[in-house]
Amino acid sequence: MLRRFSVGNAPGHFGPARAWWWGVLPLGFLLLMVVAPLARLAVEALPDLQWAGISAMWQDDYLRWRVWWTVLQATLTCVAALALGLPLAWVLARFEFPGRVLALRLLMLPFVVPTLVAAIGVLALWGPRGMLSAWLGLDLQGTPWLLLYGNLFFNLCLVVRAGVEALEQVSAARVAAARSLGATPWRAFWRVQWPAILPWLVSATCLVFLYCFSGFGLALILGGQRYATVEVEIYTLVAHELRLAPAGALALGMALLTGAVAVLYAFVERRLATPGRADGVARRRPTGAWQWCAVVAALASLFLLCGAPLLAIVVRAATAGEQVWAVLLDDETLPAVWNTLRFSALAVLLATLLGVAHAFAARRSVWLRAAAFLPFVVSPVTVAFGLLLLYPRWSASLPLLIGAYALLAYPFVANALGAALDHQPAHLAQVARTLGATPRRVFWRVTVPLVLPALRRGMAFAAATALGEFAVTLFLSRPEWATLTTLIYQRLGRPGGANRDAALVLAALLMLLALLAFVLIEQAPRRARVPARGRGATNVPA
Amino acid sequence: MSLLELRGVCKTYVDAQGGQALLADGLDLLVPGGRIVAILGPSGSGKSTLLKMVAGLEPPDAGAIYFAGQDLAAVPPERRGFALMFQDFALFPHLDVVDNVAFGLVEQGLRRAVARERALQMLAVFGLHSHARQKVWRLSGGEQQRVALARALITQPRLLLLDEPFSALDAELRTRLRDEFTQRIAAAAITTVLVTHDEAEARAMAQQGFRLLQGRLLPLW
Amino acid sequence: MMFVRTLCFLAGALLTFASHANELRVLAHSSFSLPKPLIAQFEAQSGVKLSVIKAGDAGEMLNKLILTRAQPIADVVYGIDNSLIAKALAANVLDPYAGPAMQRPALVPLAPGVVAVDYGYVALNYDRAWFAKSGLALPKTLQELALPAYRNLVVVQHPATSSPGFAFLLSTIAGLGEEAAFDWWARMRTNGVKVTKGWTEAYYTEFTRNGGARPIVVSYASSPAAEVFYSKEKITESPTANLFLPGSVFRQVEGVALVKGGQQREAAGRFIEFLRSAPVQEGLQTTMWMFAAEPGTTRPEVMRHAAEPSAFYNPPADSIASKGPDWVNRWTSVVLK
Repeated sequence: MLRRFSVGNAPGHFGPARAWWWGVLPLGFLLLMVVAPLARLAVEALPDLQWAGISAMWQDDYLRWRVWWTVLQATLTCVAALALGLPLAWVLARFEFPGRVLALRLLMLPFVVPTLVAAIGVLALWGPRGMLSAWLGLDLQGTPWLLLYGNLFFNLCLVVRAGVEALEQVSAARVAAARSLGATPWRAFWRVQWPAILPWLVSATCLVFLYCFSGFGLALILGGQRYATVEVEIYTLVAHELRLAPAGALALGMALLTGAVAVLYAFVERRLATPGRADGVARRRPTGAWQWCAVVAALASLFLLCGAPLLAIVVRAATAGEQVWAVLLDDETLPAVWNTLRFSALAVLLATLLGVAHAFAARRSVWLRAAAFLPFVVSPVTVAFGLLLLYPRWSASLPLLIGAYALLAYPFVANALGAALDHQPAHLAQVARTLGATPRRVFWRVTVPLVLPALRRGMAFAAATALGEFAVTLFLSRPEWATLTTLIYQRLGRPGGANRDAALVLAALLMLLALLAFVLIEQAPRRARVPARGRGATNVPA
Repeated sequence: MSLLELRGVCKTYVDAQGGQALLADGLDLLVPGGRIVAILGPSGSGKSTLLKMVAGLEPPDAGAIYFAGQDLAAVPPERRGFALMFQDFALFPHLDVVDNVAFGLVEQGLRRAVARERALQMLAVFGLHSHARQKVWRLSGGEQQRVALARALITQPRLLLLDEPFSALDAELRTRLRDEFTQRIAAAAITTVLVTHDEAEARAMAQQGFRLLQGRLLPLW
Repeated sequence: MMFVRTLCFLAGALLTFASHANELRVLAHSSFSLPKPLIAQFEAQSGVKLSVIKAGDAGEMLNKLILTRAQPIADVVYGIDNSLIAKALAANVLDPYAGPAMQRPALVPLAPGVVAVDYGYVALNYDRAWFAKSGLALPKTLQELALPAYRNLVVVQHPATSSPGFAFLLSTIAGLGEEAAFDWWARMRTNGVKVTKGWTEAYYTEFTRNGGARPIVVSYASSPAAEVFYSKEKITESPTANLFLPGSVFRQVEGVALVKGGQQREAAGRFIEFLRSAPVQEGLQTTMWMFAAEPGTTRPEVMRHAAEPSAFYNPPADSIASKGPDWVNRWTSVVLK
C-alpha cells in the first residue's frame, strides 16, 4: 500500500490540500459506532474477562465446542473453496468458450444475494423437504453439510474471481521461458504460475475465513442446534438468556480473532501488484474431449453450488400456488417491504456520504485505509450488541438502526472509491492543471467523472448489503419495524408448509429487490477504462 | 534573452526503488525564446520531475525558476500557461476527442460551444476531424499523441514541456510524429523543453541539447 | 433521477415519524391470539387502536423489554408467566396495577401488581396411534422414560430459547430434586433425546403426529383438545393424549402488566380489565388454549379432552429467580455438549 503512495500523488499544489478534514466525519462515526461499543462490551464483560472468568469459559465444554466448530467450519470452507475454486478459475481464465463472459459476470451474483435468501435457497434444495434431498433420499437436517454448503455458495465465487484475476496477470513470457527451459506444463504451473497467483489466493482465503467466521444469518438458519457458530451463541445469550457478560466476552474474543485475520489480509493485500499486465497468458479454445469435459464440469459445478439454490427459490416460489402468493399482500408483508426499502435507501445515502469522505481522507493515510476495514472485522452481531448496551436510550430508534446499517455498508463505498482514486493516473490531473484548471476545477472536471462508475458500484454493494441486513435488525429494531428479512425469519419459525412456502415467496421478492438495486445503481459498465499504471509502456501500433 | 531560466535549482526525488536520489544540484538552465531545447538522460533519472518543477507541479528544494524575468515561485501551475505532454498521452477518457482538445479553452473562460468550435478547427488542421466525436481510447497511439499536441497547442502556451512523448510508440511512427511535431512547434514558434532518453530523436528535434549528469546539465550541442 | 427517488424516500421516512396518537402498544409473545370481533369491540369502546407487537418467545419478549427499558417499546405487556415474573420484577420494568381486575381473586395467583389472565400446564404429550401400533407400553415414571426401551422417542425444547422447554426443566428439578434431575437428563441424552429450538419445531416437525419421528413431545395439557378442535374431520377422541408423569408437569400462569415508562395509562388499564372480562376469558380458551383465570368462566366442550393433572411440580419462585440461569447453563452442558 505504501508503494502506491510514493508514485503519483505528489504533495504541494496538488489535490484537495485539506484532505485531513474529510476524515473527521467517517472517523467520528467509526469511533461512535465501533470503538465505543467495543469498549462498552469490554466493560460489560469485565467479570468474564479476568483470568478466572476466561478459564471458566474455557472449561465449559459447550462453549469450547462452539468456538472450535466455528473455526473448523471456516477452515473447511476455505479448503473446499480453494480446492474447487482453483480448477474453476483455471478453466475460466485459460479457455475461451461461449458463455465465458456471462459466467464471469454471474460470479458477482452471490455477493448481491442476502444471506437469508441464500439460507432459504439451500433449504429449498437440501432441506428436510428440499428438491434435491427428497430426490436423493437424503436427510441433511442436523448435519453440518447444510452450513458448509451455504458457506460455499457465497465464498466459492470469491475464490474463483480472485483466481481468475490472478491467473490473468501471470506473465506469458515467463511461462514460455520456463517451458523452453524444459519444464513440463505441470512443473511450469508449480514453479512459475503458482507463486505468482499465491498472494491473490491467500488474500481471498483470508476473506473467506472472515466471512465464514463472523457470519450470522447462515449459521442461524442452517446450523441447527449442534452446528451453529459463536455468533449465533452470542445472539442467543443476549436475546434469549440475557447473559450479557459471557456474551460480551465471546464477542470481544471473536473481534480479536477476526482482527488478527484482517491484519494478515491487509498485509497480503499490500503485496498485490497493480493489475492489468499486458502479456497475460492468452486464452485458447478447448481442444479435445477432455478439455471440453473440463469446461462443462466447471460450469456445472459452478451452477450447482452457486446458481442452484437461487433457481430453487424461483422454481418453488413460482409453483407455490395462488394462496401462497397472497402472502405478498398480507398486512404484515407490505409494511415490512416498505421498511426494507426506506431503511435501505436512508442507509445507502448515509453510507455514500461516509464512504466518499473516507475515501478522500484516506488517499494519504494508510491507517485510515485500514480503518475502512473495521466494520468488516467486527461482526454485525457484535456491533449491534455493543450499540444496544452503549446507547440504551437510542436502542430502538431509527437513527441508530440506520447508523448501524450504514456502518456495515459504507466500507464497500469507501473501498471501491479508494481503489478508483488509486488507479487514476496522476498524469491526468497534472495535465489538467497545466491546461489552466485550479485544483478545485480538476476535482470536479477530471477526478469526479472518472471515479463515478466506481462510486456507483460501491453504492450498489452497499444497497445489497442494506437490503439483506438481518443481524442488526434483530437486535436494534422495534418489533413494528420488521423488515423483509425479519419477516422471512419469523415465517420460517411458524409451523406448516404454507408458512415455509410463504417464506420462499418472500425470499424470492427480497432477491428480486437486491438484484434490482444492483442493476439500477450499477448499470452496464462503460467501456471507459482508465489505463492502469502498469501498462504505460506498451508498443501501441498506429 | 532567455525566456526560461533555472537558477541553482536543487531537488531530490523518490526513485523506482523508493529511495531518495539526486535530480538537481545547483542546476542552471537558460532556454532562449522560440527554441526547442532537449535534455537527455537515462530512463528513471528523474527528468520528468524536472519538467514538473518547471510546470509548477512540484516545488524545487532550493533555487529559483524564472520565466520572462518573473519569478515563478508564487505562480500556481494553472496560471503559468505552460503545456505539459506525457508519454502515456494523458487524454481524459471520460471526454471525447473534441472535448479533450477544448478542455484548456473552457478553463480559459470560453463558452463550451465556442471552445468546441475552435477545437474542431484545430482537429481539422491536424487531420483528425473525423475522430472528433469518438472516445479517445478508440484512437491509435499515434493519433492520441497528436490529439494531445492539439490540446496543448490550442491554448497558445508560452512554453511547451514534452516528457518523452514518443516512447510509447513504435520506431517508424516515432520518426513520423517527430517530424510532424517539430514542424508544428516551429510554425507556432513556441519555446519547448523536450526531455528524452533517445539521443537521435533529441538531435533531430532540438537546436540545443544538454545531458543531465550528477545534478547538473552538461551542454552537448 | 436517483436523487429524486431517494428524496422521496427521505420524505416518506420522515413522515412516518409522525406519532401515532391514540395507539395502545401491547407487547406479547407470538402465541397471543384473541378473537377478532372482541378486539374490534375493545377498540370501539375505548377509542384507542390496538397495536400488538409480537416479540417471539415469552423469554425473548421479556429480554427485549429489559434491554429497551430506557425507552420502552410498549405500554402494556402480556405473557409474562410465573417462571419469568421474578426476573421481570427484579429488572424493574413493570409498574403495579391496582384496578378492579387486581382486586378480584383469580383462580391462580401470579404476583402483586400483575394481573393473572390464564393458566395452563406444560406436560408430555404422546401420539396414540404410534403407541398403539408399536405395542409399547406407556412409561409410568420419568426414570422409565430414560430406559433403552424408549430410546430416540422423546423431543424436548431448549430451555434457553423456549418457555415450555424451560418450564419442563423446572418441573423435573422440582419433581426429582436438582441432582437427580440432571442425572436423569444425562441419561436422556444417551437415550437419544432430541432438542429443538422452540415448541413449533418440536410439535410441528418432530412429533410423529405431524410427520416427524418422535412420538413423545413436551407440549401443553390442552394440546389434545386443540387437536380435536382443529381437525378437519369431526372426531370424538383426540389423536394425542397427555402423559402425566411425576416430575413432568409445570403449572404456568400468564399475566398482563403495565410497562414502566409506558404511555396511555388509562387505555392500558382498560385493556387489562378487558382481558379479564368474561367474553375474553371464554374466548381465549380456544384461541390460546389456556384455562381461564377468572373464576366462574364456562369451559368449552372441547376442553374435556384437556385433562387437568392431579399434581404439578413448580419450584419456589425465588429459586427460579436465583438459580434459573445456572440451571439452564448446566442443562446445556449436560445435554448438548
